[in-house]
Amino acid sequence: MSGSPVVGAVQERLRDVGYRDLSTPFKVAGVEFAFTGAMRGCAGRALDLVLLIDTTTGDFGDRDGGRVRQKVEALSRALDVTGSRYVVTVILAGAVLAEGIDALSDTCRVLHVENVKLNDDGKLADENAKLQLDDRIRVLLPLTLPEPLAQTEGGAGPAMDQFVRALPADKNDALVDAVIDASSAGAQAVTDVVALIINDVFPPELRREQS
Amino acid sequence: MTELILKSLNINNFRSIRGQMHAPLDAKVVLVHGENGAGKTSLLSAVELALTGKVQSLEHADRNYGKQLLHRSASQGDVLVRTMAGTLEQRFEVTLTAAGAKSVTALDKQRATFFRERVFLPQSLLSQLLQIYQDSGNDVTSPLALFVAELLGLDRLDAIEAGLKPLADVRNVRKIVDGWLGAENEKSRLDLLLTDQRKRRDELIGQIRSEINEIEKLCTLLNLPVEVREETLDEVAAVLSDDTDSKDFDLLTDHRRRLSSIRREIDAAQIAINSEAAITPESADEARKAYGRWETEYGDIVSALRRRAEALLPDVSLPSDPEKFSDAALARLRMEKNQLSERTSQVRADIARRASAKDELDVALRRRKTIDDEASRLASNAGSLGSALSELTSFITDETCPVCDRNFTEVSKVPLNEHVHSKVQKLSASAERLLVIGRTRSEVQVAIERLNREIEMINARSPEEETLAQLDRRLASVEDLINELMVIAEALREGGRLRAADIAARRAVSDIQARHVSLASASDTLNDFALSIGAPALGEGDSFEIASARLDALLAVQAAHLEERLSMRRKGGDHIATLRSNVARRNEADQRISADFASAQRVEQALERAQTLRNQGNMIRGTVDKVRSAIIRKEFNDRLNRVWRDLFVRLAPGEPFVPAFRIPESSTQKLQPKLITENRKDGNAGGTPGAMLSAGNLNTAALTLFIALHLSVPEELPWLILDDPVQSMDDIHIAQFAALLRTLSKEHKRQVVIAVHDRQLFEYLRLELSPAFPDDSLLTLELSRGPHRDSVCVSKRFSFKQETALFSVA
Repeated sequence: MSGSPVVGAVQERLRDVGYRDLSTPFKVAGVEFAFTGAMRGCAGRALDLVLLIDTTTGDFGDRDGGRVRQKVEALSRALDVTGSRYVVTVILAGAVLAEGIDALSDTCRVLHVENVKLNDDGKLADENAKLQLDDRIRVLLPLTLPEPLAQTEGGAGPAMDQFVRALPADKNDALVDAVIDASSAGAQAVTDVVALIINDVFPPELRREQS
Repeated sequence: MTELILKSLNINNFRSIRGQMHAPLDAKVVLVHGENGAGKTSLLSAVELALTGKVQSLEHADRNYGKQLLHRSASQGDVLVRTMAGTLEQRFEVTLTAAGAKSVTALDKQRATFFRERVFLPQSLLSQLLQIYQDSGNDVTSPLALFVAELLGLDRLDAIEAGLKPLADVRNVRKIVDGWLGAENEKSRLDLLLTDQRKRRDELIGQIRSEINEIEKLCTLLNLPVEVREETLDEVAAVLSDDTDSKDFDLLTDHRRRLSSIRREIDAAQIAINSEAAITPESADEARKAYGRWETEYGDIVSALRRRAEALLPDVSLPSDPEKFSDAALARLRMEKNQLSERTSQVRADIARRASAKDELDVALRRRKTIDDEASRLASNAGSLGSALSELTSFITDETCPVCDRNFTEVSKVPLNEHVHSKVQKLSASAERLLVIGRTRSEVQVAIERLNREIEMINARSPEEETLAQLDRRLASVEDLINELMVIAEALREGGRLRAADIAARRAVSDIQARHVSLASASDTLNDFALSIGAPALGEGDSFEIASARLDALLAVQAAHLEERLSMRRKGGDHIATLRSNVARRNEADQRISADFASAQRVEQALERAQTLRNQGNMIRGTVDKVRSAIIRKEFNDRLNRVWRDLFVRLAPGEPFVPAFRIPESSTQKLQPKLITENRKDGNAGGTPGAMLSAGNLNTAALTLFIALHLSVPEELPWLILDDPVQSMDDIHIAQFAALLRTLSKEHKRQVVIAVHDRQLFEYLRLELSPAFPDDSLLTLELSRGPHRDSVCVSKRFSFKQETALFSVA
């Protein structure tokens, strides 16, 4: 199917994160619905029904806001009738009137993808374009959290771990170990232990009594 | 680990909820719906109270909120939350009275804090959240600092950073490291000492060099074949102290002494010869003849006089020399004459005195007799009788005598009283007279005795007239002899002189003869001496003076030469002594320098090691700083900002500005991130969220910040409890929000409890959050209450249902 490259890019992105294409047209409650594209999530998003509208070059009345709305509302009603729990998300690819989006929003979630840079092959031009696209359809994308900071042995924490790794090779191990040991007892303990270690290099007669 | 989930909630008379209420919570999503005032917030607050023992949103509003917790119509109540972890059930309970809430069991402090900070978002907090984080400052208890601490656990790095801070400034290092200052002081002390000592040593080396030069010079002058070096000092000293010169000099001194003694002898001899040249044997003859003539002329007279003198002075021996004889005889005779004159005048005086003393004695004897006569007439007791009578006068009152009791008028006309008085006066006058007489008599008696003794003494000296005559005769003959001697005294003196001249002339002649002999021998001696000292012998024409002066000059030249050599040797010796002492001092200085240098090096090395350690410490601190800075930056940028952005964009896909925390480049110790907005398209910074975002999007920003914070920190409790967060959200956002909740629930396994008041939204969320897979679950709780009935909670559970509505058109 040779569709609009923007629709294609959206579909590809959604496929990446586990959405499956639905063949279209499809039937709900005996009514047939035809869209430029339809996709369905899996697992936690199994109830996501994503409809793709190509407002620039699409068929099936995609270019007519009114018809799109009618079609979506009809689908919505059909789903209601069957007691379906599908959640419909409409992705409008291309320019569209603001009131059209507002009107659609009453019945479903509306995402609007526009001005995404594509290269000659119809692929996303660069990272920024990818980010722009993602931002547009983000709600459909999984939320990826950064790796939690791993806890290390001895409860020193990831920060301490990083710190130890960041020390240069020619470090004074004894000093580092003493400092790390003392760090759990607070800043004063660190100062004390360092003072003690440094003081130890002086001959005893030079160490005066601390007044 | 099995997920911990909220299982159920039992409420009894809490806040706006009257009576008993049970709400199941054991579903992935719990949707709470109720009209405003139905008790949604109370229900969620009840969960918070049971789990943490507090209600933070009320606490913000009223510190004494505890009294408002019980429903106002009830006297007691309680809240019980059950949780499940696998099959393990836990109870968290609070009992309520009018006085307040009493927690029976609650979460531990850490989890309670997590619940308050990261799980439960009360409605009131939503609007304040951004402000709270914006204003958080750098206080360690500020929400952001707590978040960072919670997120990163940087406290140990902080401790290291703060603990190592004193190492940055050496002044602080001195304070904390006892030995540092000591070492620095010691080092500067040693450095100064070393500089001083080196300077001194250099001076010593210079002195040693100049001493060596001096000694070399002296050795050259002395023509001593020796090499002068520090090591050959002993040798040089030995050569210098060689005693040949001194022996030579001793010899020379001997020579000179001998020469001078020879010269003295010669001089003496010559002077004697010259001065006595006048005396010749001829003049000696004349003296003898003159004396002979005088002998013949006066010899007899002198002998006669001598005999007479010897007769008069039998016990004196007189000299034979005529002059001396006359002197001695005259002296003796004059003495004799004086004695005789004295004796004659004494005898004459005695005779005269004896006569007058006898007269005086006679007078004295007569006076004594007169006194004795008067004394015998005076009563010797006159004094005592007088005083007795004078005492008696006090007893005389009339004319009657107190002794004899007779009337005195019978005897005399004079009154008795007067009579006695006159008697007393008479008696006392006699007594006085007696005293005077007695004194006078004893004086007279003394004079008598004295005169008697004098007469006796004079008698004892027997001054007879005959004796006086003899003495007079002898005196006359002495005087005669004296006169005769005086007459020929001149002749006698002449004789004496002649005799002396004769003797002297004879002695002089023999002396001259002796001198000539000695002068001849001196000449020989001088000649011998000249030969002995290697000088040419005396020439024939040489006088003694010239020869001896020549020898003397020769010896003087030699002596000067030797003296100079000796003085140079002495100087050499002195130089060697100085040199030795300088060498010793230099060696000592060397030792001290090397010892001090060693200590200085020790101290320096210690300081270097300490500095190395300090550098290490600073390096560690720098690393900490870098790491922590990197961590914070990374965590904020990669985690919090990223998640926040993701969430915010989900809810507000059309908003060009997204909120973010910006961490200033400097200062990682004080965490002061700023809230900013960034343009999504170009990443340029905008203003603060408050300035850049609409009210709806501001709410969205706060809500997503809360969720981002929740997602960024390690998960303590897998719950998200949101109290009507969408009140001012646009519809479009609500749809997105629903999708977000679903994402959190389905993908991130958070148990979501959310209260909404909007019916439509409730329905929408119910649809959107419907179970999407087996084991997924949704609970709805619908709250209602009437003015006169207990609150009611109707729960409804939705479970997964295979979706069958969609059929592809084949």
